[in-house]
Formats: sequence, C-alpha cells, structure tokens
Amino acid sequence: MSGLGDLINGLGTLMTPTLLFHAGWATLLGIIVGSLPGLTATMGVALMTTLTYSLDSTTAILVLVCMYVGAIYGGSRSAILLNIPGTPASAATSLDGYPLAKAGRAGYAMGLATAGSALGTLAGVVMLVLVAPPLAEAALNFGSFEFFWLAVFGILISGQLTADTTPLKGYIAGLLGLSVAMIGSDGIHAHVRFNMGLTDLNAGIALIPAMVGAFGFAEVLTAMWNRAGEMATAKDKSDKTIPDLIDLWRYKITIARSGIIGTLVGIIPGVGEDIGAWASYAAARRTSKERDKFGHGSYEGLIAAETGNSAVVPGSLIPAVTLAVPGSASAAVLIAALFIHGIRPGPLIMIEQPDFIGLISAMVVVATFFMAFFGLTLTRAFVQVLRVPYAYLMPVVFVLCVIGTYALSQRMFDIWIMVFFGLVGFLLRQMKYPMAPLVLGIILGDLLDKSLRRGLTLSDGELAPFFTRPVSAGFVALIVLSIAMNIPAVRRAAMAPVRWIGARLNA
Amino acid sequence: MTMALADRVTAGLLFVLGVALLVGGYTMDRLEIRQIHPASIPGLLPMILGILLALCAGLLFRSSFRLDAHNGAPVLSDGSWLRLGITGAVCTIYALGLVGWLSYFWATAIFASAFALIFSFPVNGDRRAQAGSVLAALLLGATVAFGSSLLFRELFLVRLP
Repeated sequence: MSGLGDLINGLGTLMTPTLLFHAGWATLLGIIVGSLPGLTATMGVALMTTLTYSLDSTTAILVLVCMYVGAIYGGSRSAILLNIPGTPASAATSLDGYPLAKAGRAGYAMGLATAGSALGTLAGVVMLVLVAPPLAEAALNFGSFEFFWLAVFGILISGQLTADTTPLKGYIAGLLGLSVAMIGSDGIHAHVRFNMGLTDLNAGIALIPAMVGAFGFAEVLTAMWNRAGEMATAKDKSDKTIPDLIDLWRYKITIARSGIIGTLVGIIPGVGEDIGAWASYAAARRTSKERDKFGHGSYEGLIAAETGNSAVVPGSLIPAVTLAVPGSASAAVLIAALFIHGIRPGPLIMIEQPDFIGLISAMVVVATFFMAFFGLTLTRAFVQVLRVPYAYLMPVVFVLCVIGTYALSQRMFDIWIMVFFGLVGFLLRQMKYPMAPLVLGIILGDLLDKSLRRGLTLSDGELAPFFTRPVSAGFVALIVLSIAMNIPAVRRAAMAPVRWIGARLNA
Repeated sequence: MTMALADRVTAGLLFVLGVALLVGGYTMDRLEIRQIHPASIPGLLPMILGILLALCAGLLFRSSFRLDAHNGAPVLSDGSWLRLGITGAVCTIYALGLVGWLSYFWATAIFASAFALIFSFPVNGDRRAQAGSVLAALLLGATVAFGSSLLFRELFLVRLP
C-alpha cells in the first residue's frame, strides 16, 4: 500500500495553481503535437526537453510527462479523421476509427478513444506504483554481470519486436546505436575513442541532439515527403463526443486486458506504444464475439488499441525510473531529461529519492485528467489544428530543432549532429529500420561497455559468472529463447501450450 | 530502387563500418602504461560490435536475394522527391550555413519565410492570392524569429548564435 500512499502524496505536491497550469498547457500542446501527422511523442518530448532547461526539476518533469501522455493520445485524432496515425502508436486506432468517422461517427470515435486512453493510462499507473518500488529494490542486487545481460536483452528484444519486416534490421539498428555510444571518453578509464580528430567528439554524442535529429528533422523530412491525407467530413446527427457508459461497461474485460497488455509491453525495454496498441488489438480481436466488425468500425477494436497504447506510457516509466532502461523511445528522452534536472534514475532511486516514483505516477494521473478534459471538450478545435498547412508548421518545428539543440551546450557542433542524425534517420526509416533500438543502443551503450569490462575485471577475465549467477542465467535463457523464436519450428513448439490453453478456454 | 538493392548497398556500408570498428578496437591503445586489467581494455566492446555488425551485414546481404514481397517493395518511391530535396536543402542551408553566419534573428526570419513561401506560393493563383501568400510567409518568418529569440534569450538565458 505504500506505493498508493506515495501516489497520493505526489498528487498533493502537484496540487498548486502553478503546477496545474503547467500541466494543462503541456498536455494541450502534447495533444496538438501528437495529432499532427509527422510529429511524434518522442519528438515532442525531445523538443520540450530543450525548452525546460530553466524550469525547476518538478515542473520540468511534469511538463515532459504531460507532453508524453498528451502526444500519445493526440495521435488518435488524425488516425480517426485522416486515416493517418498522428504517431505510430495510433496506427491500430485508424483501422476502426477512420471507418467510424467515414460513417459520420467521428465524434463518438474520439470520445471512445479518449475514454480508452484515460482508462489505459490509469491501469498502467496502478501497475507503476505497485511494481516499480519492489523492482527497484530487487535491482539493488544487480551487479555488472546482470546489467550487462539486461542491456543485451533490451537491445535484442527491442530490435526483435519493433522491426516492421525482419528482426535483423532491428538488431542492426541496435548495433548502430551501440556503435554511436562508443564515440567519446569511455566510462572506466576516460580514454577517448573514435573522435576522428574532432575535439568536439571527446565527450561523445549527446542524446538530445541525436534524438532531436532522428525524431525532429527526420520527421520534418518525412512529413514533406509524404502526401497529405483526406479528412473524413461526414456527419451523423446522432454523433456525440461523450461515450455511453454502457459501451464502456460492455467492453470492461477488453479495457482491463488491454491495460495490462499495454503496461507489460511498456515494461519491455525499448518496445513502445505502437506494439502495445497492436498487441492489445490482436488480443481483443482474437477473443471478441464481434470479430467480424474489426477493421470496419468496431468500438471494441478502437478501445483496445487506444487503451493499449496509452497504458504503455506508465509501463515504460517502470524500467526507465528503476533501471534507467527506457521502455520506449520517448522514455529514453525522459531519462536524459531526468539526468539534466539532477534526478538519477536507476536502482538507487528508492534510496536517493524515495518519493519520486509516487511523484511521477501522480504526474501521469494529472496529465490523464487534463487529457480527458481537453479530449472531450475541444474536439472541434483539434479538427482545425489538422488543417494547419505543413508549409507553415514545419519551419517552426525545424527552428525549434535547431535552437533547442544549440541551447543544450551553446555550441554549433550539436546542430551538425542534429542534422546528421536527421538525414540518416530519414534514410533508415525509409529502409524500414526501427528507430527505437537505435535510441536504446545510444542510451545503453555506456552501461553495456562498463558492465562488460567491470564484470571481466571482477572475475579476472573469467566468463563463467556471466552465465552462472541466477539472474544472469535467467537473462541468458530469455535471450536464447528470444533468438530461437525467430526459427519457425521452435516458435511452433513454444507456442503449442499457449494454443492448447486458448483452445480449451474458447471451448 | 527496390528494397533488395537498398539492402545490398546498406549491407556493404555496414560491413565496412563493422570492419572499421573491429580494426579500430583492436588497434586502440590498451593502456598498458596504466597497468589496467587486460580484460578492461577500451577497445573490447568496439571489437565485439564490429564483428556482430559485419555478421549482420552478411546476413542482410544474403537475405536480400530472397524472392519475397519485402525485397521487391520499392524504396523512396511513395513521396515527392522535389519536396524532399527542397526541404532537405533549405533546412540544411539554414542550420549549417545561415545560423552562425547571420544573426539568429535574421537567419531564422529568412529561413521560415522562404520555407513557407516555397511550399505555399500559388503559382497559378491570382495576384491577390499571391500577395496574401507572400505577406503570410513574411509574417510567419518575423513571428518565429522574434518569438524564438525572445523565448531563448530572455527566458532561457541562451546566448544566441
């Protein structure tokens, strides 16, 4: 119960007019950013990080969390109205949201999406306050050997689950991220590696310029490259934005299941909201009595997708806060922001700042409240936002990419890094390389390097402790299983018991 | 260009990068002078990453010969090259050229106005529409330059480039 007590204390801390004001505008801005195709939650959080340097830590983190929650929800707007997901997290939402909008039920679809998102986030918050503290305490027993495998597992599973086509491209993206992290002073002996004669690279490549490039500039390029969507303008006289309670109650099992699936997906390192939405959608479709309606305007499908993607947000904060391993790309930026504001995520968080998990959970709750409020009341205003031409929007975004990157260390070199990562990020996306493992690689590179070399030093060069310590052995088993699941025969054998149980339950 | 061809080119680049990492890690200073443990040399992980990257590049190259929908899919074909080229050029010129050469205010005002004008100017529209587009672009440039300068210089105390 102490987790819930910390949550209530956190809510008490946030109940000041100033903080509520910041939460309100940040959530609104997040919804706007998320609703615009081409601008993602990660880009919003990365850009907002550059705008919150001068704020105190509580306000800055609150603004970033609100931006994150708002943007993930905001993606549903364009998914429903344009059939273009505002963020990748809302791709599953468009399957049923757009058919509803074309049938003149756009308002009701947005209302259901709002309710699903709010309930999903709250389900994730409950898990966050209950799971994070014991996980942080368990992680206190982790040594170099365990952290090494945790980093390997994170890159591997992220590469495997986020790749559009073949896991190989996910692995390559992760390896590229790790390679980027090798640039600059190493974390043990401060020896400068791969600086290519540039003193600006001695400190390595900072995460924020790389992220702003890969998610900001690359998205500007992608948005200008793609063709615009067609807005669904049909209207039904019975359309409304407040969802009927009976509809929510009818799908209570779907909401609960999607909330749990989304949170669990969020806990897996570097996987993210889109996988949470697809996994929830697939589970709902498999068990639904109305599965024929899926893809043609199903309320249940819409709710499952939105509950699933929103539940990932608090879920992704669980490993981010307790292990400093991000559950999503946006959480990776959030980790960088926490460091900037003097908060050190990781197993020591429960010792150094025991109230922080309650506080950040309360921030998610406050953001959810504002998200639901704006989502249900400002439907028409959001439709107008979608009409803003890219010719006017994108230069504003790029100016913020440039000046926000520069503001971090006030050096021109960071702008070059941003542009480089933007161009490379655009090309990689076009060739179907996922961005999440790349980001995770940059974040985890240092941890992986230090853990491997410290572990080998402790064991005097012996590899055995990497495999024989219980937690390490568990990670090794998971990693072997994850790789082996790529082989169809192994996958069929491993899934046989699950299929058997599913068949029994359906019978 | 098909995905198969793009994958083959990428595989080549990744292989070179992998070998470079391996060689770079192997030839990296082993800090014997500091008497560090041989297992903690700075080049250890780069060497491992180099091997893995080269291996993945080989697998990517091999998989590019598979006849499936993924390999046959076109790359960089579902958008506008003209819009992409102009966006890339204008943004790069602003970020790597104008900023630092002109004062931030003027660099940003020129960039935002030019960007908006290029992509919104109604070439076949009447004079009034064209004048409106120019006016809107200039207004956007001035607003973005003034707003961002004020925000970062006065509020965040950043010394603008």
